[in-house]
Amino acid sequence: MLRYLCRRLIFGLPTLFGISLIIFVVLRVLPGDPLVAMFGAEGFRKLAPGDRARIMSDLGLSDPLPIQYVRWMKDIATGSLGRSFFRGDRVSELILHRGPLTVEIGLLSVLISWIVGLPVGITSAVRPGGLVDGVARSLSVLFLAVPGFWLGMLIVLASLFWFHYKAPLVVVHVWEDPWANFQLVIGPAVVLGLGQGAYIARMTRSCLLEVVHEDYVRTARAKGLAEQLVVIRHALPNALLPVVTVSGVLMGFVLGGSVAVEQAFGVPGLGTALVKAIVERDIVVVQNLVLLYGVIFLMVNILVDLSYAWLDPRIHYE
Amino acid sequence: MRGWTRESTMSEEAGVGTSRRRAVWREIGVFAGRNRVSAAGGAVALLIVLVALGAPLAAPENPLKTDFRRLARPPDGANYFGTDQVGRDTLSRVIYGARTSIFVAVAAVVLGTTVGSLWGLASGYLGGRFDLISQRLMEVLQSFPDLILAMAISMAIGTGMGAVIVAIAVTRVPFGGRVIRSMALSVKEQAYIEASRSTGASHVRIMALHVLPQCLASYLVLATTHLGVAVVIEAALGFLGVGVPPPTPTWGNMLADSLTSLVPHWWLVLFPGLAITVTVLAFNLFGDGIRDTLDPRVYAGVLRAMAGSRRGPTR
Repeated sequence: MLRYLCRRLIFGLPTLFGISLIIFVVLRVLPGDPLVAMFGAEGFRKLAPGDRARIMSDLGLSDPLPIQYVRWMKDIATGSLGRSFFRGDRVSELILHRGPLTVEIGLLSVLISWIVGLPVGITSAVRPGGLVDGVARSLSVLFLAVPGFWLGMLIVLASLFWFHYKAPLVVVHVWEDPWANFQLVIGPAVVLGLGQGAYIARMTRSCLLEVVHEDYVRTARAKGLAEQLVVIRHALPNALLPVVTVSGVLMGFVLGGSVAVEQAFGVPGLGTALVKAIVERDIVVVQNLVLLYGVIFLMVNILVDLSYAWLDPRIHYE
Repeated sequence: MRGWTRESTMSEEAGVGTSRRRAVWREIGVFAGRNRVSAAGGAVALLIVLVALGAPLAAPENPLKTDFRRLARPPDGANYFGTDQVGRDTLSRVIYGARTSIFVAVAAVVLGTTVGSLWGLASGYLGGRFDLISQRLMEVLQSFPDLILAMAISMAIGTGMGAVIVAIAVTRVPFGGRVIRSMALSVKEQAYIEASRSTGASHVRIMALHVLPQCLASYLVLATTHLGVAVVIEAALGFLGVGVPPPTPTWGNMLADSLTSLVPHWWLVLFPGLAITVTVLAFNLFGDGIRDTLDPRVYAGVLRAMAGSRRGPTR
């Protein structure tokens, strides 16, 4: 198991290298002048060529590309990740300050998706074609189509309309003020959780229906076990594996979706920081944050693979 | 898949003379009879596309025309969906928004899936080092969450409709690549490939004439199932300010615009979002039906699950 983990991590390194290279190529080599974005088209024209060159070299953008890349790698190795163009703060500080909010939102949303998705999937699999099944499936099809950020906007609007309530919009960590922190993260977590929950419910239903035809389920029924026990103790554990996979695959949905959903709720998490940096064309911040999202996604996929062995003793990794 | 081809040859035999057109209609009729929900989705999607194409006819007003006597009015008899902060008619903007949003989504999916499929086809058929490198590249592309990759690309190559299309297309490439590669891998072991190879056919000819046709069904499934996702990504990009730039009305831009007032007006949030939801729902349902009909590799469990319901994919 440990050996497998090591091997996966080592195989992950070239992928990581590829990820960083693609980010670098996309942000540096493709056309588009950062100065135009920083000063606007008009301001850019007013700048003297000398000033342009000076600002570019101050920003470290006039060096040859390989040197820029090596410098970025060095920044990553030292852990400082470089500094923002505009405010001069370290990117690592930005991540440590805002990251916890986004992590909380992500974890909470996965929890919510399981709390909602599993029971719904199980009840609709128990009586396929029944009323509960019909309603649950229609709802899950609907939730797959509703964009999370729009649902978020509606929730913000509704709570403002009917309860005159607005969540606090400054960074509050859970260790500072748990209640304020909870109000901050619960909205995005519910929206993202429901979106994932729809997939979880779908997957649970179809996997359970498949497992229910297995011999051991018939045996369990034949020995007179209560139907609830048959489903929960015998059928469900064997149906869970693909559900876990789906949950891992959905991390891409959570990571990407959280950017837009945070924006909709106005939560000052990592996603909001990324959007701001992209609008300001703060290349150093963007490249590091995009890399971070890629790394997290990669790690989650490795974790999901490892969880197979834990959930299914038949699977061994040498 | 086998059912599909047999069906089409049967209906072609039946429709000798008067036309293939009747055969096509019968085909659509068979599809609709078997997948009622999905056919309804397809019909709604078709309607939306028609409205988008005929936007100048369908929209009551010019979507860019401001009216300073009617700023931010709630829905009433004159403007069914209300007006925005500068007095533009929301209904007209939603209709014109369909034009941009659907054009971008369709173009991006077609571009991304086509590039990915051709790449996957070549990589699976040729194998060797090319395949290895392609695989790694696809893996890297898939390690980014869709929206984040699209945001970074769209930012880098400048915001404009072309940039947005390319940005979304890039996120679709690995899906096409993976699926078609696995198809190509299995097809290339077939005896008829060996036969045409032995008659001296070139690799390009074999790929184009013998492998490609086998992948068409999967291509169609990929393209239709990804349309909904593309619409959502397009809307999210617009919402985050890196999509098609204003004043072009897109659903995402309209949602972003609604946030410029301190307390967003409900009609400016509700209608564009509803448009996105209905469109994505229609595309998803239609795509599901196409997949059930064409994809030979649907999970056994899903098949069995559906056997109980009306929309069974097999006869």
